[in-house]
Amino acid sequence: MIMDTQLASLLTAGALMVIGIFGTLFLDNLIKKVISLAFIGDGANLFLIAMGYKVGGIVYIFLPGMSMSNFSQNASYPLPFALVLTSIVIGASTMAVMLGIIILLNKKYGSLSASKILGE
Amino acid sequence: MNLLHERTRAVKIISIIAALALPTIPLIANYGVQYFGGYPPLAQNPTIAVGLPTLITGTALNIFHPAITYVFGSAQKLMIVVLGFIALFAIYISLYEVKKASGVYAYLMLMGTASIIAMLLSDDIFNLYVFFEIAALAQVGIVLVSKVDYNYETALKYMILGSIASPLLLIGIALLLGVTGNVNITDIVYSIQHGLVNPQSPVLLMACSLIIFGWLYGTGLPPFHTIKSAMYSKALPTGAALLQAFSVFSFVAIGIIILRIFSYLPFAHIFIIGISLVAMTLGITMAITQTDFKRLIAYLAVGELGYIGIGLGLGTALGITAGLFQAINEAIITAFLFIGFGTIMYKTKETDMRKLGGMLVETPKSALLVLLAGLAMAGVPPFNAFQSKLMLVQASLNSGLPEIAIIMVLLSIVTFMTFMRAFHTIYLRPRPADLKIKNEKIPNITLVAMVAFLVVCLVLGLFPQIATNFLQGMAMSIA
Repeated sequence: MIMDTQLASLLTAGALMVIGIFGTLFLDNLIKKVISLAFIGDGANLFLIAMGYKVGGIVYIFLPGMSMSNFSQNASYPLPFALVLTSIVIGASTMAVMLGIIILLNKKYGSLSASKILGE
Repeated sequence: MNLLHERTRAVKIISIIAALALPTIPLIANYGVQYFGGYPPLAQNPTIAVGLPTLITGTALNIFHPAITYVFGSAQKLMIVVLGFIALFAIYISLYEVKKASGVYAYLMLMGTASIIAMLLSDDIFNLYVFFEIAALAQVGIVLVSKVDYNYETALKYMILGSIASPLLLIGIALLLGVTGNVNITDIVYSIQHGLVNPQSPVLLMACSLIIFGWLYGTGLPPFHTIKSAMYSKALPTGAALLQAFSVFSFVAIGIIILRIFSYLPFAHIFIIGISLVAMTLGITMAITQTDFKRLIAYLAVGELGYIGIGLGLGTALGITAGLFQAINEAIITAFLFIGFGTIMYKTKETDMRKLGGMLVETPKSALLVLLAGLAMAGVPPFNAFQSKLMLVQASLNSGLPEIAIIMVLLSIVTFMTFMRAFHTIYLRPRPADLKIKNEKIPNITLVAMVAFLVVCLVLGLFPQIATNFLQGMAMSIA
């Protein structure tokens, strides 16, 4: 049986988030924690993309000769794709700042252990 | 590349011009709606609607907003002016309290202020999320540049929690988008109110829960009150004054959106009131046990957020007006306190109250101003918080919830006691022998800022209608 693309995307997003939350909570290495956080962010982004999926939909570019009613009924929803780009940029900036702080903390403590640095 | 590195004079001039613009521009700007990256709804824009199929023009799509919409009304005007006023003094003091002004620090404060202003103006929930994230980054930056012990550790903890909470908020927004097909808040409300979507859909309930979770994180409500107060305490006093204002106004911005979209759900109101009561009780009682004065004010600030939440949660026009008024008052008073107690840090480099004492002799003027700020926070007349807390009590009595009124009054008394204990410890008891005091005068700008905050507190306390007239329109539209 071939699974519906949207359902598969949502399940993958859910799996990414669960793995990410598990890693953030239970892994001690700060770099691994950041990778886990990236999983959570990616899961949310995939979830957002899956919202724009339309079964049998066409690309949302109005080409010459295309009928307006056909386009308006069948084009997939472009908004989530535009939103997810912004979300990716935000995620990348946040991760860069986190990694920068971790570099400084690693110099200070000589370790990447969250239990040692953050006292968890 | 930092072109302004080591150019202290240029940094000061640019920062002050930008900071002066913050409260000035909203004062002179006209009210209105701004459409970014698009055009007004088709119903208001017939030239574009010509030739479109009835599938679009004959449905709700005709009135939906295709652009990112920003709304500038009277309530937004007042809140932006107050935020700009706090930012102006925070930036000004930060430039003149140190020998070498930091352009990066001023930039972070300006960026944070700009993002919170955008949150207040935005009628687009995804846009709000974007600025919520930018504000979080600016807050982390303000803590990172403070050079306070363990600031990196606290900032990293805050970011880790934020990296869990923000995607959950994003999923809440994605669910709203999936159900209603919109990110514009006015359109989402229209879809729900006109039956285009099932208001009782479990997906909407899930979206509500996730957005509320993001709200708790962003504003430092429980269970995030500990990390938020740690953030305040690891910032410089000017940074902390601004950070708490960010929390207050993001609390209002997201709280209003939750009310607008989900006010038809009874549990939304109950939850807001419940979490606000927890925030008030936890914040104010945890403040009693603190030995670090920055941490003490931080917990009091979290507690005061609860008062705003009560007003919003009551959901009546009077309650929402009182909540918004309390937000404005709290932002000013807490900034006043942070900057006031900051003079102690300036003179002694010490924040531990156990090591302080006898500061009244050293800083009599600022001691008097700090005392007045503390009285204002506790809701003593004739200051502004007295008026807003009185309105909150009236609103809860009108809503048939006298219990909440009693709790609010009791917690105000506890706030007063907590503040007076701190004031006695720092200013009135004998000075410890080992306390070293810097032989430098407190900068005049710090005292000017405190007097300015005091004047605003007094004016709003004596003439509360100046603020409430601006806020009533928004409160009536939400209630």
